[in-house]
Amino acid sequence: MTSDCCGPGYASPAEAIRAPREKLLYTIAIYTGTGIQKPDYLATVDVDPESPTYSQVIHRLEMPGIGDELHHMGWNACSSCFDDGSMSRKYLILPGVRSNNLHIVDTASDPRAPRLHKVIDGAEIRAKADLSGPHTVHCLGSEIIISFLGDAKGEAPGGYLHLNKDFEIVGRWENSMGAIKFGYDFWYQPRHNVMVSSEWAAPNTFMPGFDLEEVGHLKYGRELHFWDFEKREPIESMYLGEDGLIPLEVKFHHDPDSTHGFCGAALSSNVIHWWKDGADKWQWEKIIDVENEPHPDWPIPVPGVMSAILVSMDDKYLYLNNWLHGDMRQYDISDPHNPVLTGQVWMGGLLGRAPVVNGVTIAGGPQMFQLSLDGRRLYVTTSLFSTWDNQFYPEIRERGGVMVMIDCDPENGGMTLNPDFIVDFGKEPNGPSRCHEARYPGGDCTSDIWL
Amino acid sequence: MTTRVVTLANRNNASYEVDARRPLLEALRDHGIDLPYGCKYGGCITCAAKLTAGQVDQRRQVALNNRQVNDGYVILCVARPVTDITLEIGVECHDKLYRNPFLDPLKPHELKADIATPEEH
Ligand code: FES
Repeated sequence: MTSDCCGPGYASPAEAIRAPREKLLYTIAIYTGTGIQKPDYLATVDVDPESPTYSQVIHRLEMPGIGDELHHMGWNACSSCFDDGSMSRKYLILPGVRSNNLHIVDTASDPRAPRLHKVIDGAEIRAKADLSGPHTVHCLGSEIIISFLGDAKGEAPGGYLHLNKDFEIVGRWENSMGAIKFGYDFWYQPRHNVMVSSEWAAPNTFMPGFDLEEVGHLKYGRELHFWDFEKREPIESMYLGEDGLIPLEVKFHHDPDSTHGFCGAALSSNVIHWWKDGADKWQWEKIIDVENEPHPDWPIPVPGVMSAILVSMDDKYLYLNNWLHGDMRQYDISDPHNPVLTGQVWMGGLLGRAPVVNGVTIAGGPQMFQLSLDGRRLYVTTSLFSTWDNQFYPEIRERGGVMVMIDCDPENGGMTLNPDFIVDFGKEPNGPSRCHEARYPGGDCTSDIWL
Repeated sequence: MTTRVVTLANRNNASYEVDARRPLLEALRDHGIDLPYGCKYGGCITCAAKLTAGQVDQRRQVALNNRQVNDGYVILCVARPVTDITLEIGVECHDKLYRNPFLDPLKPHELKADIATPEEH
């Protein structure tokens, strides 16, 4: 296949890897929960080393209201529309976890200065779809689905909102939530007619902050769910138990033929691997177990808190964070049953291994990250969620978040902190803000799915 | 209309008369006070303030655990004043709202109301 077709994205993961280097990236930055009464915003960061404003925020698009808590984002279209000339990757969808508002941002008219195209009012979503607490945005073809973690009253398990390509509410996407107790992230692999979803907690549970005791009271998730994607209903659940406490991010291989996928269980700090065996049965196993670390002031060892994972576009490396420990890791997953640790970088964290990075004192630890399509540059941010930040890293109120860049070696493995790049959101014009998820205008390693 | 007086201790003791049947967030915002909020249904804690005198009815809140309630926190988007009250507002009053859950665990009676067990004496 060649790349001279008409729609957005790339013909294949291999084509995506050959795409031009990213020059801009977008990250959300929040004031919600910081005490600064300003809207959250979408920051444009200059990542072109040839540019005089390299490693700086060059534009800020404020949301119309205060208190959204922007968090994750997603595109209106990706490589799943590659042969649809009527579609383009133009709009970024920014849900507000607390407000329920969905902000549709036009990034194409002027990529350096995105503009607000439309807002779907959170109240309308509550009324029409009985949903709250939006999280993951995926497109499939020209349609968009978004996981919501709660009903209109913030109770689990929520469900999925279906939008058409004009960003109108179609209704609920799923036909049934089955016996699913909680929602969070999801990813699908159309050639195998499968979607996998994970579990955080009800909005009313996680939004006010983290009470550890609630894990024991089963207020947090510990299961993965496999869906019949076409029928839009769950068909099998996997109980991960103590190995899979709070299973958050789920990623399939980018190769559309593969059945292998991965989930990071945040509290257990394990990576769970699943695949379909020779008898057409879904199997799972724990492949990475980050040990808890002793801390002089803690009565119990500190868990890593693996809040995110990412698979490189060539499916060779898995990246993960330990938000409380303060390290980012790279594993070679060429054999997905036997990952090999090939890189590790320290930045912030509670263990004190790297309190200062490129001259900036880090509040928080490595949290969200986005990898360049060629697998060489990993951009990492430090804030998790306003209330959880406030519990574990209260100094983030004064210091704000940062974005750093890690140079990755896709040929031999390995990662090193880039000494020339750091974006200090503690110095933002309206006061310290906190950056979270990042996306590139040309697509990235966490959005594209191939049919 | 039954009214109550709300005094904001950390805003120079400014006081405002509000409708006793309306949630405090709405009533105070109508007086032009800039207050943080998110969900507006009592589930997300963004609007928490500290009650230092008087009583509110905040039965609809589901964001606070019992320790936070005992420390005086109230959820303004659903709380209504039962008496005249004094509040501290904004994140300046959040000193005790957030704690590291590993360093400072909750006792069974300090959990959220739906899972708390009564304190033993
Ligand atoms: S605004 Fe969410 S609890 Fe009040």
